[in-house]
Amino acid sequence: MLLLSRKKGEIITIGKSVQIEIIDYGRGSVTIGVTAPKNIPVHRKEVFDAIVKQNQQAVATNVSALKKVLTSVQLEDRK
Amino acid sequence: MSNLTRITENITIQSPDFGELEVSPGNIFYLENGLLGFENLNNFVLITDDDIAPFKWLMSIEEPSIIFPLVSPFLIMSDYKVGKEIDLEKNVLFVVVTLNDGKGNVSANLKAPVILNSDDLTGEQRILITDKYNVNHIINNTK
Repeated sequence: MLLLSRKKGEIITIGKSVQIEIIDYGRGSVTIGVTAPKNIPVHRKEVFDAIVKQNQQAVATNVSALKKVLTSVQLEDRK
Repeated sequence: MSNLTRITENITIQSPDFGELEVSPGNIFYLENGLLGFENLNNFVLITDDDIAPFKWLMSIEEPSIIFPLVSPFLIMSDYKVGKEIDLEKNVLFVVVTLNDGKGNVSANLKAPVILNSDDLTGEQRILITDKYNVNHIINNTK
């Protein structure tokens, strides 16, 4: 891993299209501004990981199990 | 089979759940980036099954044993919102449903909807920036 020291307002570039700016820091956290093209999704890793986990659980669903729980599901409009 | 190509011909697939299915390219959605964690699966067919309506299945053409249960987010939250850049005239929104958390909960991932474009038959799973929606939004009553 490359370690770079940056001051507030300073920027790191990644490739030609991604920039990371240190906006603010203090009290145990850092605010980072990321500029990236639309086709490069930028997300908090824990959110990304939670979605991957949810997808993995979803594909483990079997057809009859879903039929069984349907009656307990509350939807706004059951067309 | 793992590829990054769009299927453009009629294809017969063997589904462990639904038997033999003939799928025409007009019913195949191409998800260039797959779903998160399943980036190598790119061609999907939406399966309507009356037994589980209003839920549907999103089945991988490459791996027909991979099926994602989906439901419309608007059935969970009538005021569900994605960004303005997503044209709801052309795109159909779904959220991935999970019932395997071991606690009997059925949950829907409102944070990362699956957006299917019925115009050009493409799709993506997009993580919304908002903090309003949860990855595991419980939609059943376990009482």
